Amino acid sequence: MVTTTKDLEAHFEFECRACENGRCAKANVDAILSEREGLRDFYEAFKEHIASCKRMTYGQYMFAIDREVLPDAVLWWHNHPKYKETHMSTAVGTDERPLNGHFVYMPFISVQVEPLNMDKNYWVFLRAYLPGDDPSFPSVAKNLPAALWIEREVKDLLGFKPTNHPDPKRLILPEDFPDGVYPLRKDMDYRHSPITEPTTEYRKTPEDTTLVPMGPAHMGIEEPAHFRLFVRGEEIVDVDYRGFYSHRGIEKTGEGRLTYNQVLFLAERICGICGYQHSVSYAMAVERLADVEIPDRARYIRTLMLELERIHNHLLWVGIAAHMVGYDTGFMHAWRIREPVMWLVERLTGNRKQYGMNIVGGVRRDLLDYRKEDVLKTVKQIREGTQTFLDIALNTNTFIKRAEGVGILPYKVAKAYSVLGPTARASGRKIDARLDQATRTATAYDEVDFKVPVYKEGDVLARVLVRMDELFESLWIVEQLIDQMPDGDIMVPIGKLPEYEEALGFTEAHRGEVVHYVMTGEKNKVYRWKVRAPTYNNLPAVPEMLKGYHVADAPLIIASIDPCYSCTERVQFVDMNTGKIKVLTEAEFNELSIKYRGVF
Amino acid sequence: MAESVSYTEKLKKWNRYEAEKFSKKAPVTTPYPFIDIEKPPEYRGIPHINPEKCIGCGACVNVCPPDALIMEWDKEHGVKRLTYNAARCIRCARCIEVCPTGAMEPTTRFEVATDNKEDLVEVVEHKLAYCEECGEYLDFTERQIEYVRNILPKDVFDMYSLEDRITLTQEEKMRRTVVKLRETEGNVYPAFMLVKKKVEDDKGGEE
Amino acid sequence: MGKQRLKSVWVYHVDAGSCNGCDIEVLDVLSPYYDVERLGVKVVPNPRHADVLFITGPLTRQTRIMIKKAYEAMPPKPRIVVAIGTCASSGGIFYNSYALYNTSPQRGRDRLRSGGPEMIVPIDMYIPGCPPSPEEILYGIAQLLGIKEKKMKGEYWVALPPEVESSKENEIKFKIPDRPIPLRYWLTLREELRRVVGYYDRDAVLNDFIELVGRAYEEAPDSPEEKLHDLVTGYFLMEKDSRVQVAMRFLENEFWRMVKEYHEWGEALKEKYPVTAGV
Repeated sequence: MVTTTKDLEAHFEFECRACENGRCAKANVDAILSEREGLRDFYEAFKEHIASCKRMTYGQYMFAIDREVLPDAVLWWHNHPKYKETHMSTAVGTDERPLNGHFVYMPFISVQVEPLNMDKNYWVFLRAYLPGDDPSFPSVAKNLPAALWIEREVKDLLGFKPTNHPDPKRLILPEDFPDGVYPLRKDMDYRHSPITEPTTEYRKTPEDTTLVPMGPAHMGIEEPAHFRLFVRGEEIVDVDYRGFYSHRGIEKTGEGRLTYNQVLFLAERICGICGYQHSVSYAMAVERLADVEIPDRARYIRTLMLELERIHNHLLWVGIAAHMVGYDTGFMHAWRIREPVMWLVERLTGNRKQYGMNIVGGVRRDLLDYRKEDVLKTVKQIREGTQTFLDIALNTNTFIKRAEGVGILPYKVAKAYSVLGPTARASGRKIDARLDQATRTATAYDEVDFKVPVYKEGDVLARVLVRMDELFESLWIVEQLIDQMPDGDIMVPIGKLPEYEEALGFTEAHRGEVVHYVMTGEKNKVYRWKVRAPTYNNLPAVPEMLKGYHVADAPLIIASIDPCYSCTERVQFVDMNTGKIKVLTEAEFNELSIKYRGVF
Repeated sequence: MAESVSYTEKLKKWNRYEAEKFSKKAPVTTPYPFIDIEKPPEYRGIPHINPEKCIGCGACVNVCPPDALIMEWDKEHGVKRLTYNAARCIRCARCIEVCPTGAMEPTTRFEVATDNKEDLVEVVEHKLAYCEECGEYLDFTERQIEYVRNILPKDVFDMYSLEDRITLTQEEKMRRTVVKLRETEGNVYPAFMLVKKKVEDDKGGEE
Repeated sequence: MGKQRLKSVWVYHVDAGSCNGCDIEVLDVLSPYYDVERLGVKVVPNPRHADVLFITGPLTRQTRIMIKKAYEAMPPKPRIVVAIGTCASSGGIFYNSYALYNTSPQRGRDRLRSGGPEMIVPIDMYIPGCPPSPEEILYGIAQLLGIKEKKMKGEYWVALPPEVESSKENEIKFKIPDRPIPLRYWLTLREELRRVVGYYDRDAVLNDFIELVGRAYEEAPDSPEEKLHDLVTGYFLMEKDSRVQVAMRFLENEFWRMVKEYHEWGEALKEKYPVTAGV
C-alpha cells in the first residue's frame, strides 16, 4: 500500500479530540484520577485548592492549584513516604498575559511509583496562576534546596517575587544588565539589549576564613565559571558560585525568529557534548503535543545515535578525570580509543558532533547496510580498547587513592537537591529516565534490555565505576539495536501544529535527565520553551561535596559530577596569618591537584 | 546498467587514511597538513549554489536557522540577490534538503579557513520580472516563471489562460478582472476562463 | 598580522561563552591522532606567555571584560588572534540575542555578517565550522604558519534570465536539465523519497531510477510497465543493499500510480470545462 505525502499530511489536520483524551477541562475527573496510583490521594489531600485537573498527554497530568499551597503541594510529593525517588525536577514560569492576563508558575514533579517501570510512573504539573500586577508566590527553597536556583531564575528573567527565599541574588543575567528589565516577558523584543555599569553582589565571608576566588577564564577545558572558596588553612569551609557566563538567551531566540523546525537546530547547540539529547527531547515534546507517532525505524535510529553519544562522552570524561589526577597518559589513551567513534559518526551523519539527524516527525538520514557493518566493527574495537585501558587505569594506586573516600555526597543530601544522573546513582538513588518514564514515543528503550548500575558509597570512585559500567551496557544496547532494526519509512510529515498546547520531552543524557517543556503559539511558532540541563540540578550540590576536603581535591571533585561548566583560572590565595597575597594561574591551581603528594 | 559499481559499493570502498594503522604498531598520527586528504563522502561541507539551476525562489532563505542565507531586495534596479556567507553557516543541510531545483549542492569542502571575511561570501544575482502594463517590478524572478511554465501541464495553462496573466502585478490582475466582469455581466463561468463558444461574441480573452 | 613567518607559537585558549563543542575539538587536536604539537604549537596556561590567542564562542555580555583583559595580558608583539568556530567568526546561530554583545549597525544582518569576538578584538584568522573538525583546525594553523595556501575565494554570479546569452565571465545562462520524465513527476517523487530514504541518498537513487524509466520507454514503448519491472529486477543483481531495493520498488509503484492519477484528473477536468482549441 502506497501512501503519499499528501495523504499523511491531510491525516494530521488537528481536530479537537481533547475531551476523549481527557485534555479538556470538562473531562471526567474521576476517570483521569483512576489512571495512575497516587493521583487520587493527592486530589483528596488538596481538594479545596485544586481548580481543575486534566491529562496533557500520555503519562503527564496537570493540576491547576492555588498559589498559597504551592510549597505544601511540592513537599507532599517530594517527601512522599511510599514513592521514595519522587523528586521535583524543575519549574517553569510563563508570561501568559496576552492570553489571559496572568503569569504562570509551574513546578514539574517526576513521580516514581516503582523503580524503572515505565508503565506506572508519570509526571505531575502543578500550575499556579499569578496575577499580572503582583507576581509573587511563596518560596519552598528553605525546606527544599532543589528549588533554590529555579526561583532565582524566574525572579531574574520574569520578575516574579519568591517570598522568604534565603538567598535572592541575581543568578543568570549578566552583571551589566539593568534592573527592572525582564527578558522573557512578552513585551520585550529578543534583540533588545540594554547596557549599564556592571555591579556585583557577593556573599559575605564567614568568620575566621580566607577567601580564594577562582575566576572565569580557564585553561583548556570547559566553560568559564567563578567559584569562591572560603578556606581555613587548607580545608574548605564553604563555597559560593557565580556562573552563567554562557547565557546566550536561547529560550528567547527560540520564541523570536525561529519556526518550530529551526528551533531543533538551536536546541542541538545548547551543549556541544550532549547536543543530540537536547534535540531528541525537543522533538519528543513537539511530537507529543501534536499526537504524532513516528515510524519504528526512526525510533531505533534515534536510540542508536543517543547511545553512540553516550559512549564517546564517557570516554571523554574518563580522560579528563585522569588528567585532573595527574595521570596524563590515561588522558591520551582514553582520547585515542574514543576517536574511532567520532569517525564512525562522521560517516553516519555527516559531522562529528552536532549530528543534525533529527527533524520533527523522524530522522533525516537512513542507515544503509554498509553503515551497519561499520557500527558493529567499531563497537568491537571500542570494547577491546576500553577493557585494556581500564585494567591498567583502575589498578594504579595514584588514581584509586585520590578517588576513594573523596567528595562524598550522602543519600539524603542527594535527594534534597534533586541530584540526577550518574552522580545520583553513585549515591544510591535508583533513577534512570530511560526506563522510568514512558519514552516509547520517540526512542526505543522499551524494546532493548539492559541493566542500570547503582552504587552506595557516593565518592568519586563510585562515580567512575558507574560511568564505566554504563559504557559497557551502552555497547550491548548498540548491538541489540542493529540486530533488531525494523523496516519502513524514516519520517512522517507534519503539517500544521495545534495551537496553545503544551507537553514535556525528556531523555537520559550522560549527565542526568534533560527536560524540555514546549508550549506552541500561533502560526507554527513556539510560545514558550524551557530547557533544563542536568548540571543545573547537580551544581548546587557541589558546595556540600566540597566542605571538609582539601583545596587540592577541589578540581577533581568538581570534575567528577561531569559539569557542563567547569571552572577556575586565577586563584588568589590570601593567607590570613601573614597577610601575603599570592596569585596562582588556572594550571597552577590544577597543578596543586596533579602534584598532590599528601598523606595517603 | 553498463556501469560496474553500484552506489553503495562506491561508498563502502572509501577508507580513511589512518584506518589501516589500527592493526599495525605504526605511529597513529595523520600526516596532514603535509599531504592532501579528503573527507568521507558523507561529510557535510560548505554548500555550493549552482548559478545555472538557481531560480531565486528563496526557499533556502526561509529555512536557514542562523540566517547565513539572506535575500537582498533592490526594487529600483529590479534585482534580487541571494547572499550566502560561510562564516555563519552551521552546516545543517536544510537548504540542500528543500531546494526545489537541486541548485544547492552538497560538497565535502572543508578547507575554509581564511583571514578575510570577504572570501567567505557567495552572491547570486537574479533579475526580477516586470509587469507589462505598468512597468513595476514583481516579486518573482523571470527564471521562476520559466520554471513554473515547465512544471504545469500545457492543458492547465491553456485552460486558465495563464500565459498572459503570469507577468502582471496584483493591481493589474485585479483591474483586468473587474473589466472582464463588467463585460460578461453575471456569467456563470469565472470571467477569465475560456469557455466553449455558445454565443457568437468574443468571450475568450486575455485574462 | 605582520606576515612574518611564524615558527613555533605558544597558544592560550579562552572560551567566550561557547557550547563547548569547539573547545572539545581544540582538545582533540592535542590528542595523538591529530597531534598539533609536531607543528611546534604549545598550549600554555597563562596569557602572559602566549603569542596566539584561540577564542571560541559568541561573545556573551558576561564574558566580554574577561576577553579584553586576556587580550591585553598578551605581550604586545605579535598579538595574533584566531577565532575558532562559527560562533566566534560571526556570532553563529545566536547572533542577535539579548545576551550577546553585538554593536554592529544592523545587529549582524549585513553582508559580512559581523558578530562575535571581532567586536572587541581584531581577528587574524577565521576558522568557521560547527564545530570545525580537527583537520580544519590544522588547516587554519598551517595557513598561519605558511605551510598551506588559502583556498576560499568570494564569488559573485549574475544569473541571467532565460533565453539570454552570457557575455561576461560571471554571467551564467539558465538551463533546466533534461530528464526522461516530466518535471512535476521528478519533484513529487523527490519529496516522497525524502520520507523513505533520507535527503542524502535520494538524489543518487532517483537518478538511477529515471535512467531506467527512460530505457523502458525507449526499448518497449507499448508495454513500459513490464519492461520497467524487468529492468528494476535486473538492477537488484547489482545493488545488493536492502534499503535501496526497497526504495526502488517504492518508486516504481509510485510512478505508475501518479501517471494513472494525472491522466484521470486531466480527463475529468476536460469534461467539466470543455476548452476551445487554441486561442
